[in-house]
Amino acid sequence: MRKANNMKRIRGIGAIAFAGIAILTLGGCQQGSATKDSNDGEGGAITLQFQSLSDQPDAQAAVKAIVDEWNAENSDVQVEIVQAGWDGTFDKLVTQFTGGTAPDIIHYEASSIASFAADGYLADLTDYIDSDLKSDISDGIWDSVTQDGEIIAYPSTLQSYMVFANADLLETAGVEIPTGETMTWKQLQEMAAATTTGETYGLGWGLASPTATIMSLALGFDGGFFSGDGTDASIEVGEAELAVPELIHEMTYTDKSVDPTSLTQSGSDVLASFYGGKAAMTVQGSFQATNIANDAPEGLNWVALPPLEGSEGAIQAANPQTYSVNIDSEHVKESAEFLNFFMSGDNLAQIAYADALIPSSDSARAEVEKLAADNPAWTQVLKSGEGLVGPPFLKVEKYTEWKDTVATPAFQQYLADQITADQLAEQLTDGWSSIAG
Amino acid sequence: MRASATKTPRQTTRVGHRARAQRREAVALVIPALLPILIFSVIPLVSGVALGFTDATLKRNAEINFIGFGNFIELLGDSRFWESFGIGIIWAGSVALLTLVCAMGLALLLNSDLKLKGLTRVLALIPWAMPPVVIAIVWRMIYNPNSGPLNGALEAIGIPGVNWLGDFSTALPAVILVGVWSGIPQTTVLLLAGMQSISAEQHEAAAVDGAGVFRRFWHITLPGLRPIIVAVTALDFIWQFNSFGLIYVLTEGGPGGRTMIPPLFTYLEAFRNREIGYASAMGDVLVIAIMLILSLYLINQFRQTKGSRS
Repeated sequence: MRKANNMKRIRGIGAIAFAGIAILTLGGCQQGSATKDSNDGEGGAITLQFQSLSDQPDAQAAVKAIVDEWNAENSDVQVEIVQAGWDGTFDKLVTQFTGGTAPDIIHYEASSIASFAADGYLADLTDYIDSDLKSDISDGIWDSVTQDGEIIAYPSTLQSYMVFANADLLETAGVEIPTGETMTWKQLQEMAAATTTGETYGLGWGLASPTATIMSLALGFDGGFFSGDGTDASIEVGEAELAVPELIHEMTYTDKSVDPTSLTQSGSDVLASFYGGKAAMTVQGSFQATNIANDAPEGLNWVALPPLEGSEGAIQAANPQTYSVNIDSEHVKESAEFLNFFMSGDNLAQIAYADALIPSSDSARAEVEKLAADNPAWTQVLKSGEGLVGPPFLKVEKYTEWKDTVATPAFQQYLADQITADQLAEQLTDGWSSIAG
Repeated sequence: MRASATKTPRQTTRVGHRARAQRREAVALVIPALLPILIFSVIPLVSGVALGFTDATLKRNAEINFIGFGNFIELLGDSRFWESFGIGIIWAGSVALLTLVCAMGLALLLNSDLKLKGLTRVLALIPWAMPPVVIAIVWRMIYNPNSGPLNGALEAIGIPGVNWLGDFSTALPAVILVGVWSGIPQTTVLLLAGMQSISAEQHEAAAVDGAGVFRRFWHITLPGLRPIIVAVTALDFIWQFNSFGLIYVLTEGGPGGRTMIPPLFTYLEAFRNREIGYASAMGDVLVIAIMLILSLYLINQFRQTKGSRS
């Protein structure tokens, strides 16, 4: 009797153990299976999940309007917006892709999405892209989203770095607002020195994450940092590459016209000092033009200055925002069709205008010029867009890795005056060799 | 004689049978409790440790190969990891020790017969109720170089403000201060419990013998709390060594890697560089380091129990 009881118990344990193992294996299966999110809806309509990062209210509304228009016209392919923010997107995508829960359509930017393309998570869109759209966007920009001959994303809007100035403070200091096509670094340096007073710094520059800004502006001095592509890329840090950090360093520690605190802050933190009149000028991404227009205190007389010109011209890196398609999506074709619609001149112009970014396609640019005809800040934004070229780092497979673990701490140390320019160059180069192996 | 000879083996078989049945029963009772531990704790731990011996990455359909100690050999020469390890030791050590000192003071205060004892005890617990991310955001506001109240107060009395989290020399101390602040309540509660278990008679007897407050603290309270102090400090060290959220939100390891504690470094390797195998190897090294510290604590405890027995 007792034995029988024992047997029963043991069988019970077996059942529990079996259930446990079953749960584990089921869990494992789910992890392996692809997109569970693109469920087929009622009546055969499919739903595409579209993870959008456009988080400024105007841009969010513009994206929603476009998606609503598509949904009204295409009852069989419905698009659902999954709103996310820019912060932490890389980690989020890593988790989503590894866990097999990534959305169908993924919004991001060229330099970071390249890692996911290299890891094989993005669909090749070469054959899906509308031929009119293809010819509407320059080859240079297409090049920035091409990897191993595959186009892995639609490039949508581009950011440039712009100098915004408090016109009243400039006037008080007796500085004339530059009006030329471009503005040299020398001009910026002189204006910053002239506007620096006891309480005000000439320039506030949010360089807490300095790498992207420096790498972009360095192109104006022909500072490319990398040559070659994929895993064969090599780094060179010479005078051209160090020109921009050295100028910032000189302005901060020799001229004392750049607020050293601002160098450790984010761009939006520095905007607060700019609004408060503690900095006469600030360097920001062009998209901040929208925020400044919305948030600046009344009476702040702000202007956007002409694009910064280095020894090689007013050149900055074209690192477009991108829309990619998950390779494991069951509806790659439909996703690409939606993106063709999304990227049409009118639609892209709406998004670019709302975000104060430069659209990638010529037709959208023409449209934005019409939309922004009476906005002086926009003239400068569009002007700075003319000098955007594909930077070498977009072709480098381990760029994100180098940027986060080597370049950012090294630039931070240099900008905090902890190391010399030679040590900076050494850290950047040695760090790359240890990463590239 | 014969009878007993035949009886003994029969009895042993019966006892053996019963013992086996009992053992089965015990196993049956233990397994349901063991399963969750196995599934949620042991299996992830073992697979995490095992990953450290492979070249796993987060690539799509990545091929995973066993590479033996390859990752560990690479790690040995990785100066950036060992720098971060050093920062981790400084961070965890100073947070654990400073927390102990501050919490001891607070516990003594709360243990004395103050008015509104109930209220002050609740107030002292508040940091415990806040998630690390919230603590970090609040402190980031306090430390804000332009609009933070700390610099505001300093400037009001004529001292120039400091860029607490952005300056290379103040970033780590500033972060340690936040760690101490958030760690005090836990330690205080444990120390307070320990103090209340020390019998009042001992204190009275010492007072009658003419011992002052400090001598009573030194000779009665402190020895009575010794096991708790050792345990709490060891656990604090381990918790802080493994903490992630607080520093991630405060500084993200910056400026220039000054607050890059090992969990942050491992996280960058795993999620930014997507080298899961190498990151797991780092995790393995951290586990071993913590086990070494834990073993010091256990040996200490073991000696103590042996000492009190003999």
